[in-house]
Amino acid sequence: MTRKVRVVIAKLGLDIHWRGVYLVSQFLKDAGMEVVYLGNQFPEQIVEAALEEDADIVGLSSLSGNHMTLGPKVVRMLGEKGLDHVKVYMGGVMAPDDAAALETEHGIHKVFLPDTPMAKIVEHMYASVGIPRPQPQA
Amino acid sequence: MSAKKNPLFNESGIQQIETDHAAWFETTLGQADRAVEGRFFTHSGIPVKLLFTPADIKDLDYTQDLGFPGQAPFVRGVYPNMYRGRLFTVRQLAGLGAPEDCNLRIKYLLDHGATGVNILFDLPTIRGYNSDDPEAEGNVGACGAAVDSIWDIDAFFKDIDLGKVSTSIVTHLPSTSIVIPGMYFAVAEQRGTPWSRVAGTCQNDFIMETCVGSAPEILPPAASFRLQCDVVEWICKNVPRWNPISYNGYNLREAGTDAVQEVAIAISNAIATAEELIRRGMHIDDFAPRMSFFWDLHNDFFEEIAKCRASRKVWHRIMTERFGAKNQKSLLMRFHVQTAGVTLPATEPYNNIARSALQGLAAVLGGCQSLHIDSYDEAYSAPTEEAALISLRTQQIIQTETGIVNTVDPLAGSYYVEYLTDQMTQRITAAIGQIEDLGGLVKAVESGWLHREISAYNYKYQRSIETGETKVVGVNYQPAEKEACCSIDVFKYPETYTRQKAKLERLRGERDPRKVRECLAVIRDKCHSDENLYPYTIAAVKNLATLGEIEEVFREEFGLWAFPLY
Repeated sequence: MTRKVRVVIAKLGLDIHWRGVYLVSQFLKDAGMEVVYLGNQFPEQIVEAALEEDADIVGLSSLSGNHMTLGPKVVRMLGEKGLDHVKVYMGGVMAPDDAAALETEHGIHKVFLPDTPMAKIVEHMYASVGIPRPQPQA
Repeated sequence: MSAKKNPLFNESGIQQIETDHAAWFETTLGQADRAVEGRFFTHSGIPVKLLFTPADIKDLDYTQDLGFPGQAPFVRGVYPNMYRGRLFTVRQLAGLGAPEDCNLRIKYLLDHGATGVNILFDLPTIRGYNSDDPEAEGNVGACGAAVDSIWDIDAFFKDIDLGKVSTSIVTHLPSTSIVIPGMYFAVAEQRGTPWSRVAGTCQNDFIMETCVGSAPEILPPAASFRLQCDVVEWICKNVPRWNPISYNGYNLREAGTDAVQEVAIAISNAIATAEELIRRGMHIDDFAPRMSFFWDLHNDFFEEIAKCRASRKVWHRIMTERFGAKNQKSLLMRFHVQTAGVTLPATEPYNNIARSALQGLAAVLGGCQSLHIDSYDEAYSAPTEEAALISLRTQQIIQTETGIVNTVDPLAGSYYVEYLTDQMTQRITAAIGQIEDLGGLVKAVESGWLHREISAYNYKYQRSIETGETKVVGVNYQPAEKEACCSIDVFKYPETYTRQKAKLERLRGERDPRKVRECLAVIRDKCHSDENLYPYTIAAVKNLATLGEIEEVFREEFGLWAFPLY
């Protein structure tokens, strides 16, 4: 039996909008992933949790403009802990140019902007980790 | 209501309609239409029939149930002449960068006909941190303006007469409402404007502090509620034209509730506040006239209009029957409206101009006192100047070109709207009763009930979008074959951190550190007393204590509360 994909997911810093990120964590659980939702956290604590939970994926939510500073900071700090294999996903409200720059210049594996169907996020995460999605129980 | 009903329709007329309606349903209506009857509901779950008739509102007593505008039960509006007398205030939000940047945006909106100011803060300010605190990294001046000290409020309103403008200060949390409006009052005093002439509103809602936003550090519900009541009590006694609380259904709705819960929770908070202030020795009519509300106008057009009308009715009933209020102003519910940001997708963003205009139209048909129409670029950033101007112009079009402001409550008498208004009234009343059964709103929040409600609502709603049951045009319904957008012009926040940091350094050099320490020590001490904290926070800001320093005292003395969901 294959193991579950492990995801650590957090709201970045002081951002207060928890609706979207909490929903994503619920839908990832529904899709058979092991999800640790940290609530609001700063980069140091997020990286620590990724280490402790042996995460495959770190998911970060930002709807308040801190994506360009704190997102890359998480990637950098993961690298410093030897966690380069952890894939960092981001989601939230941001300019399309910023989203592109996060992916191409700052080591964010994938940014999902508003209106992304949950199914697309699930599918992308399973493909990037390379663990097959468990078949729903009949 | 104990008075005997005097129904508008006579019994035999209703019987005739019911008979004819049944016949019409069986003989004139097609089989396909008959088959789907019973499957339509409003967003909050009220059954919607294909056709409404007088039979659906057969008990309607015009005088008792609707009345005249400016008279009980205020369903038709809070003022006798409504918009002929006073147009709804065009109150667009302005909040970005440093206070100096915001000052320019405020003047821009005032120069283009805005009649009120609505200022919004960045997250470090909202959550009570200084711009140079490590927690603030990445958020300074984004999504709102930074405020660290009384100097910033002065800069916000440079060349603006605080005795003339009506200002809404969007301090979400009680813990910052006891500080930032205090800075505003202190600036007014320094400029020689008496507090009797200072007008405006602050938000001050403990639900914002404990449920709507999540945060690494939040105050416990009881402490946040105490600060909320301190703010209301002190402002009612000292700044008579200021609305010390705006019960924020809006952000709660955006976080995830339906229209019924939005209103029920806001009114339950008002009930809790009233009970506490009465316990402190005030009379209901000392403070109820200054309470205001803030609604979110979502997509379900008629339900939202019915919500506005019903909320006034429920409020009137609670004020008279439960609290025995006598002052006419205590009985009428005034509310600000913002259109629903949560309904605005990033896909094909110009469509949002249409969505927001329809929601704004519903707000005016619902009789709002002031309005903010969201901008089309909501899902990308704070609005650009161009986007903000379109929102302002949308309001002006509703006010001057549609003709709907010339008569009061024009949808009254619509069988559907009156049916919905009655349904909303009943459902809001029942939801308030449910919160009472949980021991009141503070206890309900402490138990985690509201967090679970929000989470369950969101999950269900998102599922309905995923399955396509809820349709979003251009997103999951008729999506464009290739992405039409996007060369959207996105607002770039001006660099703020270094400017605020330099200002804080100068402030720390110029102030008397001993006085600041003394002021903070007094606040620390008074946190554990029954005394109102407002006089002490005002003294602290006058002596140049920063927002972050005062909030740190609250965090240390009241302790922190874990978000009760995970």
